[in-house]
Amino acid sequence: MKSCSSKLLHICTLLLAASLATAQAAEPKKGGTLTYTFHPEPSALSTLATTAVPVALVSSMIFDSLLEYQGAELTPKPGLAESWTISEDQKTYTFKLRPGVKWHDGQPLTSADVKFSVEKAVKPFHSRGKVYFGTLEAVETPDTQTVVFKLKKPVPYFMRSFQPNETPIVPKHVLEKANLSDKKTLRQSDFMQKPIGTGPFRLKEWKKGSHVILERNPDYWKPGRPYLDQIVLRVIPDGVGRAIALENGEVDLAPMNAIPLAEIGRLAKLPKIVKSTEGTEGLGPIMWLEVNLRQKPLADARVRQAMSMALDRNKIVDVVWFGQGKPATGPIVSSNPVYYNKALKPFEYNPDKANKLLDEAGYPRGANGVRFKLTQNFLPYGDSWVRLSEYIKQELGKVGIEVETQSLDLGGWLKRIYTSWDYDFTSNFTHNYSDPSIGVQRAFISSNIRKGASFTNSMDYRNPRIDQLFEAASVEMDPQKRKVLFDEAQQILHDEQPVIFLMEIAYTHLWNQRVHGLIQNGISMYSGWDAVWVD
Amino acid sequence: MSPATLSFIVRRLAQVIPVVFAIATMNFVLVHLAPGDAADILAGMAGHATPEFVAQLRREFGLDLPLYQQFFIYMGKLLRFDLGFSYIQQTPVLNLILDRLPATVILMVSAIILAMTLGIVAGVTAAMRYGSWVDAVISVGALIVYATPVFWLGLMLIVLFAIKLGILPSGGMIEIGSGKSGLAYVLDVVWHLILPASSLALFYVAVYARLMRSSMLEIYTFDFIMTARAKGLPERTVAWSHAARNALLPVVTLAGVQLGHLLGGSILVETVFGWPGLGRLVFDALLQRDLNLLLGILFISSVVVVFANLLVDLLYGFLDPRIVHK
Repeated sequence: MKSCSSKLLHICTLLLAASLATAQAAEPKKGGTLTYTFHPEPSALSTLATTAVPVALVSSMIFDSLLEYQGAELTPKPGLAESWTISEDQKTYTFKLRPGVKWHDGQPLTSADVKFSVEKAVKPFHSRGKVYFGTLEAVETPDTQTVVFKLKKPVPYFMRSFQPNETPIVPKHVLEKANLSDKKTLRQSDFMQKPIGTGPFRLKEWKKGSHVILERNPDYWKPGRPYLDQIVLRVIPDGVGRAIALENGEVDLAPMNAIPLAEIGRLAKLPKIVKSTEGTEGLGPIMWLEVNLRQKPLADARVRQAMSMALDRNKIVDVVWFGQGKPATGPIVSSNPVYYNKALKPFEYNPDKANKLLDEAGYPRGANGVRFKLTQNFLPYGDSWVRLSEYIKQELGKVGIEVETQSLDLGGWLKRIYTSWDYDFTSNFTHNYSDPSIGVQRAFISSNIRKGASFTNSMDYRNPRIDQLFEAASVEMDPQKRKVLFDEAQQILHDEQPVIFLMEIAYTHLWNQRVHGLIQNGISMYSGWDAVWVD
Repeated sequence: MSPATLSFIVRRLAQVIPVVFAIATMNFVLVHLAPGDAADILAGMAGHATPEFVAQLRREFGLDLPLYQQFFIYMGKLLRFDLGFSYIQQTPVLNLILDRLPATVILMVSAIILAMTLGIVAGVTAAMRYGSWVDAVISVGALIVYATPVFWLGLMLIVLFAIKLGILPSGGMIEIGSGKSGLAYVLDVVWHLILPASSLALFYVAVYARLMRSSMLEIYTFDFIMTARAKGLPERTVAWSHAARNALLPVVTLAGVQLGHLLGGSILVETVFGWPGLGRLVFDALLQRDLNLLLGILFISSVVVVFANLLVDLLYGFLDPRIVHK
């Protein structure tokens, strides 16, 4: 008995020691450098120039916005604004700024900066500026610490606008020196290369083609933060080169599919590498086949349903995408915690049914077994998309649709799909972003059939009910009622397949186990990294 | 310098002008043949662009003008050494190129020196031991290296020296953020240069070795070699002082002509090793349809190649005094 209890004591001591060790390991450490890799190199360091991923990754560490966000569902919490009130009619938002916040050049942040940022920078220049602030009537600044937004009509996603990359707060005293009435000036201004923000890190050095070094902002408004001394972006253009650098320990982090899909599985098995697909729920990437409905066979929903049934989504995920994703059911991704319609199932893989549907639609097989011919384009973003096009050609061939594949570079592809509308179908991927009214609606409403506008309704899909539903949802303030509207829209789009929903792409991040605190919310890679620390 | 040489240089320089002009015209036409432009790409990257936004970009970049007007504007700027503005990188093209040029020059010059030295030594050695096992090893080795794709070779060198042995860095030009300066900085760059320069050089080692070998064997049949041997000169002196100098001519010619080719190779090497040079810039400019940047790099590199060939012509006279510039 004695020996038993002593053993127990021993185990307890061990357990206690282990838990203490864990607690110690979980205690954030100050100092150190985090090196991450991505390609291409950012073209600027502010999302006012472009919201492309490489730019967004860096700029979110340099700039803050009024709010920060918690969890995958992006619940607003105080950022540069320490408190806020929303009027009864939800058309007036009053933000109280945090006192004592300084720009990287030492100047104080005031409400005039916020007004300037929204009116003169984000609304006219940010690619989604008009989505967020299109209904803005006025920005008032009753004192240096108060900002009042007055809207013409309520915007249900207004509180989602204040992410560092969506509405970066920029310094008026620096930017007003540039003549912003000339639209070229901002894009070409020094500010895009040497930005000044209030974020946790400030620019130390940018050696084009090689690296960007950010250093700790000593005046950052969060006490004790950031933990890291430096963040280094190493530009490594070759995918295998990036994988090797991570494996070697030369870089600590490869975010957002920076490592080629074929290498992810191998690297993830290494004991020192951590793999995660969390932390990008607020972006919601989704892949589909965009179908030109102007042509005859494709204008028939039965033909599109048949194409949808001829493709095995599980195979696309497992074989083409090396398991990095899951089958898509409709336009809203399943990681959306509120608005995803759980009743939807992916189209079943059933070539027999597909054949039957095509027969019914009036496209029997000819003597050579071919029903009709289509040309496919693919998104020129690398190997995976080429492999996908090969798989699609092979599977559609089995149900009698002969597919010819056409390869274009990005410039040519954008022109063909969005300006000439001269295509049959193409693979494509877009983001839901933090709300369906921002990222989903744009692809399906008929008012967004606009020549020359990228990632819009290139299909020429016109459904008055869909227009009504998205229109109503974009001003409905009650989340429950909004969900009903979005649920119906998802059901219709699922049934009609104006695009063939294929897969929810996973953004896979790989990092060295010495890195901690990366995943904080649904926009973790775009969230400043002030909570990140290294062993 | 003799008056004949001077007049040769002046005449060759005068020839350079129409050549460069023709190159600039051809470049302009070629890059404008493809569909889509920088405005499409920028708008595409923006993710939510309206037609007004795209039209605004196109106006900004002058892409809304007829092509012939764009051409005249481009040529006019070129005459003033203004290479324009890169709308994708948001920086003047000349700055971008000057930023990257040193890294590429370091890589290319190291590769040429390495390739020439090893290639010539290997070629002469093989020729001296014609028909022996040394000759066989060098010839077969050269053939294998010649047939190896440069990017694959680069990756294999990384796997061996950076991953397995862990003695050399896998990429980059310096240890970022180390704050090294002076000699420590130079040594750091050399350390990072070893793998990329070797990858780029090996193909040319093979080319020069094979060329040098066959050139030497041809020279060996000449009378003056027999004379040198008859005088009782040691074989090493015959090979290096008499034969090699004459045998060098085709190698030097090829090196000059291949400079453009070497720049092409450096695109791959710089991409594999993350070497921050011009090659990488070309790669990005091509993918992003950054027309001004692409034109700028093509222009600068063609000027460099034209001048390098001029230099080679002048070198002939030095290597072989019998060649007189008329």
